[in-house]
Amino acid sequence: MDVANFIKYILQGTVYTLGVTAVALPSGLILGTLFALLAVYGGKTLKQVMSLYSTVMRGIPPIVLLLILYFVMSGEINLSPFWAGSISLGIISSAYQMEIVRGAILSVSAGQMMAARAIGLTRMQAIINIILPQTLRNAIAPWSNEAAIIIKDSSLVYALGVPEILRRAQLIGASSGSYLPAYLTAALIYFALVFASGRLLGLLEKKLEIPANP
Amino acid sequence: MKKGLILLVLVILITGSLLGCQPEAPLEQTSNPPSSPSKLDSINTAGKIMVGTSADYPPYESVDESGKYIGFDIELMAAIAEGMGVKLEWVDMPFDSLIAAVQENKIDLSISCFNYSEERDQQVDFSEAYYTSKDAFLVAKGFSGTIAKPEDVVTLKVGVQSGTVQDDWLTSNLIDTGLLKEENLSRYERVDQAALDLQAGRVDVLMLDEVPAKNLVSQYEGFNIVLSAELSTGPLNIVLPDGDVALKAEIDKQIKALQDSGKIEELAQKYFSE
Amino acid sequence: MSGWLALFKRYLSSFIAGAGVTLELTFIGLGLGFIFGLALALARVYGPKWLRAFATGYIEIFRGTPLLVQLFLIYYGLPSLGLTLSQSLSAYIALGFNSAAYQAEYLRGAIQAIGQSQMMAGRSIGLTTWQTIRFVILPQALRLALPSWSNEPISLLKTTAVVFLIAVQDLMARAKRAATVTYNPVGSYLAAAVIYLVMVFAVSALLKWAERKTRIPGFEMGSKRV
Repeated sequence: MDVANFIKYILQGTVYTLGVTAVALPSGLILGTLFALLAVYGGKTLKQVMSLYSTVMRGIPPIVLLLILYFVMSGEINLSPFWAGSISLGIISSAYQMEIVRGAILSVSAGQMMAARAIGLTRMQAIINIILPQTLRNAIAPWSNEAAIIIKDSSLVYALGVPEILRRAQLIGASSGSYLPAYLTAALIYFALVFASGRLLGLLEKKLEIPANP
Repeated sequence: MKKGLILLVLVILITGSLLGCQPEAPLEQTSNPPSSPSKLDSINTAGKIMVGTSADYPPYESVDESGKYIGFDIELMAAIAEGMGVKLEWVDMPFDSLIAAVQENKIDLSISCFNYSEERDQQVDFSEAYYTSKDAFLVAKGFSGTIAKPEDVVTLKVGVQSGTVQDDWLTSNLIDTGLLKEENLSRYERVDQAALDLQAGRVDVLMLDEVPAKNLVSQYEGFNIVLSAELSTGPLNIVLPDGDVALKAEIDKQIKALQDSGKIEELAQKYFSE
Repeated sequence: MSGWLALFKRYLSSFIAGAGVTLELTFIGLGLGFIFGLALALARVYGPKWLRAFATGYIEIFRGTPLLVQLFLIYYGLPSLGLTLSQSLSAYIALGFNSAAYQAEYLRGAIQAIGQSQMMAGRSIGLTTWQTIRFVILPQALRLALPSWSNEPISLLKTTAVVFLIAVQDLMARAKRAATVTYNPVGSYLAAAVIYLVMVFAVSALLKWAERKTRIPGFEMGSKRV
């Protein structure tokens, strides 16, 4: 087999890797933001529940959680390994993204909430119009770290049989006997993806920077 | 912190009990309630059948260099799907998650060189046999010991694919009896990884089905089958959802037709003749 | 509930043996990672240009690719170059090399926070560069690095859970085995999750204690997930 086909076969896995990331990252952000709001503005019980969620989820290896969520989900609903794996990674990420967003909310000074309330906004309006826009802009830098982690963790769905980059490298390695080139190609693709995502989010961060905000 | 920890363990135990009990249940309810629709209907409606396999077991099932599924099971299944008049869609999964995938409706059925076993039969149904297989013990170049009977492997480092009947056989006959030390048995996700480790010398002997073993002999220089026997294996069957009578009848009918037409013999000639 | 407890009980001894392997992997990976990581951090701060470039490249590459790929490269890739390592050795090396990249960044941050002026002061009282690093910079930097560095043991402990994919008999491998035999994957992996949680809590309690003991009052740095 020629080199071009070899590389092309592994490259085709990029679609799955990016697909997993494209599902997991935003779903983790939405859940994480929601949980962070509950953790900061919720009642005492809610705060405790959220902090328990964060502690437990972040204390268990992602691969273990992935398999638990995968088997729970597939027992309840009929989902393909791709979707079950992507959603599971999103749920896992929600605990980490919750901490990112929580940190960013707390970095917006409490005076802003008071000022917003004083000019007649409701709490909800203040959160949506004043707090969140600043929070999410501040969260981009740590969030780009999370994006890189998800791209790398997407390799875990290998264990579910999703034909992503690593799985394909393994298959083509087995059929051609060239394991070293196969895994090196896979490593290169992952590196390029992580690198590119860092650059892209770096640009976004510059663009959305809050002027004069240290 | 301490209170939190206790609360936490409690939460986990409760979730565990809720979720963990579920899989025990199928032992009692061996068949679906009669009202539940057969998979066959949804297959016919969708016009396609989703079949799971662990594509690492040539010549039964593997992926060729262009990424196409090939092998005895693969072509057999294609013929079955053709007979049913539906399209065929493959799902590649680790071998030991195939049974769970059938149980959980993730795939319609699975063909992956499955042998009948009692434990498996409690979880899923089996089609009629379509072929018969044997076990083989495979060694690499430079192997100096002798394996005259299966028990002779206990002094060696043994490799096996996780979740196969060979894994069960080794575990219940050699590990549980204390003959083979647990750390001397390596359980692999995939057979091609196991073969690579046999070649690299990380394991001394591999236990697997005879036909794929012969295939590895032709693929790797110096590989050699030192013993074949019918220990854990026997007839090969397709794995079907538990209690789905209509689907089983349809698949059995197709297998019978392929046997009668000589198609299965032809495929065996194509893939298994030396 | 009783079903799950029965499973837990039946496999407890196997799980504990697996947890032992997991801790061993974490400990050895952390140790190797610290040695390489410290060397990389020093190379990045004090090394000549080519060495700085090498260290930067190493760190970027190991942090920019999944551990699983690194593990497979070492385990399945190296034999074709004639280098066949055992399952555990491959796991130790992959974990150590990977952890080194992360530890290097924590240590570099701390070394740079100590500042150039202490190096100048050290040199001016007649110490060599190496002596200044050894007796002035590092004793402070290592204490300073501890709060952010303490992410690493926990992160590494969790990371070890993928080595079952090269047939290392760690906690995860035992859980998978239990899942295959009992056909109760959720129960088996939950049992493993509980044990991982207990280990993570134990390690983090130990690190908190160490942090309190070694803190330089009024002199601290932030931390984040890796």
